[in-house]
Amino acid sequence: MARHLRFIARTVMVQDGDLDTAYKTLNRILTQDGIIDAVKRKRYFEKPCRERQRKNFENCRRIYHTEMARKIAFVSRTNREDPWLGC
Amino acid sequence: MFNFRCAFNSASALCRQLLTPLNVNGTVSQCGSRRLPQQRPLFLSAMRHQEAEASTGKDFSYFPPMPGEDSPLRWAGKKFEELPIIHIKATYNNTHIQLTDSTGQSLVRTSCGTEGFKNSKKSTPIAAQTAGISAAAKATVKGVTFVRVVVKGLGPGRLSAIKGLTMGGLQVVSITDNTPVPHNGCRPRKARRI
Repeated sequence: MARHLRFIARTVMVQDGDLDTAYKTLNRILTQDGIIDAVKRKRYFEKPCRERQRKNFENCRRIYHTEMARKIAFVSRTNREDPWLGC
Repeated sequence: MFNFRCAFNSASALCRQLLTPLNVNGTVSQCGSRRLPQQRPLFLSAMRHQEAEASTGKDFSYFPPMPGEDSPLRWAGKKFEELPIIHIKATYNNTHIQLTDSTGQSLVRTSCGTEGFKNSKKSTPIAAQTAGISAAAKATVKGVTFVRVVVKGLGPGRLSAIKGLTMGGLQVVSITDNTPVPHNGCRPRKARRI
């Protein structure tokens, strides 16, 4: 990136001329690191009030999704040893 | 170094994710079953991967060879740091492609505009592909085969320009993303209300 870490960060080697896999890998890395989101958001200015609303919304969304995933994982544990064995 | 650590963690996890299903399919194909014809390309690539691993014994890493450490990888006799670089600037309205050598001296410069496209047609992936093909043709005239690609910007021609380079005959060795991410520097223009 610019003069720092040229060809070290955000670089993916292409294996056997397989461009598509390499590009998909690069895209996945960038989305997981939040770079694609940041670039799209910084295209236009985001007012501080809108930024606070968005951060609040993303916080609530994250909490909701983790709790729902936890609930689903708990409810879908069907094959386990009998917890009431002996009663 | 934060980005590097993130990239390392996600890339190593991705390597594991990408390679394990391929190995499973590879062993199934070697048993000789043909129930899933549409997965044949996957079997072939997995078999090629396993054969390459078995024959050469070297492991492919998604990371580029660092300038400090000496790796045995060479492309046309050149080390990774000496390969020429193709800079692709994919803006929302146009795509520029410039080939420079490893020091930064410009060799070839093409863009959608130089290919004869005008106005809104420049901001299409097809225009970027034509620019890539012409850039590759001019590069092969200068005697360039292996090349590293640096992409800047999130425009429509981001992927199709690299595709055009490979269609024109250049071999891409690595893809780097150099999209500028300001740490809250200049204030961008105001939000559009359509």
